[in-house]
Amino acid sequence: MTQINPGRSALVSGLAISVMLTAAPSLYAADETKKSEAPAAKPAQPATKPLKLGGPGIEQERSFPKIVSGKWTGPKTADGQPDVQGHWSNTIANHNNFTDPQGGILNDPNPNRVAKGPREERAPSRVSDPADGQVPFQPWALEKVKDFQAHFHDPVKPEYIEPLARCAPGGIPKSLFWHGYEISQYPGYVLFQFNSGTRIIHLDGKPHLPENIKLWNGDSRGHWEGNTLVVDVTNQNGKALFGRSGEFISENGHIQERYIFSNDGDRYTYEAVLSDPTVYTRPFTVTVPARKWTAKDQPNGWHFEVEPANYTGKVALKEPILDQYERICAENNGGFGLVAAEEPKK
Amino acid sequence: MSSPNNGPSSLQIALMLASGLILLFLATGDAGAAGPKIPRLANGKPDFSGIWQTTSAADYDLEPHSNRKDAPPGAGIVEGHYLPYLPAALEQKKKNFAARDTLDPALKGYTLGVPRGIYYPEPFQIFQRKQDLTLVHQFGHSVRTIHTDETDHPKDPYDWWLGDSRAHWDGDTLVVDVKHFNDKTWFDRAGNYHSDALHVIEKWAFIDPNTVEYKATVEDPKVFSKPWNLSVILHRHREKDFQLIEDYRFTLDYDDAYPPKPNKP
Repeated sequence: MTQINPGRSALVSGLAISVMLTAAPSLYAADETKKSEAPAAKPAQPATKPLKLGGPGIEQERSFPKIVSGKWTGPKTADGQPDVQGHWSNTIANHNNFTDPQGGILNDPNPNRVAKGPREERAPSRVSDPADGQVPFQPWALEKVKDFQAHFHDPVKPEYIEPLARCAPGGIPKSLFWHGYEISQYPGYVLFQFNSGTRIIHLDGKPHLPENIKLWNGDSRGHWEGNTLVVDVTNQNGKALFGRSGEFISENGHIQERYIFSNDGDRYTYEAVLSDPTVYTRPFTVTVPARKWTAKDQPNGWHFEVEPANYTGKVALKEPILDQYERICAENNGGFGLVAAEEPKK
Repeated sequence: MSSPNNGPSSLQIALMLASGLILLFLATGDAGAAGPKIPRLANGKPDFSGIWQTTSAADYDLEPHSNRKDAPPGAGIVEGHYLPYLPAALEQKKKNFAARDTLDPALKGYTLGVPRGIYYPEPFQIFQRKQDLTLVHQFGHSVRTIHTDETDHPKDPYDWWLGDSRAHWDGDTLVVDVKHFNDKTWFDRAGNYHSDALHVIEKWAFIDPNTVEYKATVEDPKVFSKPWNLSVILHRHREKDFQLIEDYRFTLDYDDAYPPKPNKP
């Protein structure tokens, strides 16, 4: 690991800047944004880019079906759970902006990344209740969020560094709209493998951890109700942000999640109720649409980071086995725009 | 015994029959294998699902060592006791040892690698399906998949912290071939190390339902003159409600910066 001094910011100077070593094409939304946006050669861009489900890029659709809780009629695992194993990802956007998911990062100094066109042409807020799409923050908390937004591109204090840039786990709910992830199931467990952090959902009803233990991904207890995985999350440390827009929950919060799967196994709707009497004025609901990615889809550097495995067996496969390479992160400790660098430029 | 009868009572007969049945069950319940019945998947392969940890002091130093301020004494876990370093590599190991209190990658919270993650003194959980075993280590961000689906190493590999693990079954022993490592992990806190040419062959086998013998053959022609072997015993955690508790360390130095607090200017 190399120490560098970027010489630009007093904050990052002296912090260890390490390399992100991963097979994933990029951990940084900035890179993807640069790739997917056309250069500013033309004076005007169309108000809305065409989106394609299963296509390249982060944004896959602007609206999505709502899946409702009910019976599960699809396949089941040997221990009786609805079988939802596989590669999944959200369909609308990454964590650039929590309440205007396709609206770009707030206060972005790069004009090419600023959202164009009216708000109605973009995907709805992830806050589905209250109806205004905003987190019902208490005044002090809203002030903190605005302060973070004002300094995201100018991180002059440690708290303006988005924790994910320090290789912290994405936390809840952000992990669900970061990169794609894998769900696997075992007797008594549902396992989520995210690029940044792993979640083990315990289905055996054991009690939550003692309350003074605080964790990035909290402590999860789940059970199945028909097509819905219901998860109770406690013990979160409140340190993960919901996006580059700075929304947060504190360590006093409580999250109740519902993962509502469609019976064709193609999609699920994530609905979480977040409560925290020390930060919000009332509980609110977060909705995130997700779809499954399979061998029929092209690998995608955001949602579906796989490669065909080197199968050596004699029996012909119905569809290729896919390898998901190592999910790992080494801290880079940078603000936005200060991405990992192995050696200082000479 | 004061029974006036010469023959056994009906109660005694029942007891004899019952114990005979139990013996018969123990003898046949294991498909002919010796020892107590081990857990198995539906396909008959040994099922290593569970939370495991070694009681050995291997992570302090793989080699035999007296006590020192930062380590209890230990007889080591290496066959033949000492690692067969090449001369230049031995010098590097000595430098690593001298600076271990700052250079040990584990102190930075980095992924421990293979085999260190197995005998590091924190639990790890194995989630097993027919096609793979997923090892979630409590320490760090480490999640490692061992493939048991007749796939081989990738044709166009990267270097990984945890290498690339492809396995097959040799009877009831899981044999894992691990390679394509980076050179950023150590074997222990004593500075024993490897290069990116590391190649590990692991053998996992049950001793009894709650005990696994873990063996590894390690080769690295850039660092060692010949392959060497280590072994540790892994014990199943059976405490009531035991679970992994995430242990991510990268951000500990910045803990006070998050989350926003009302009383902080």
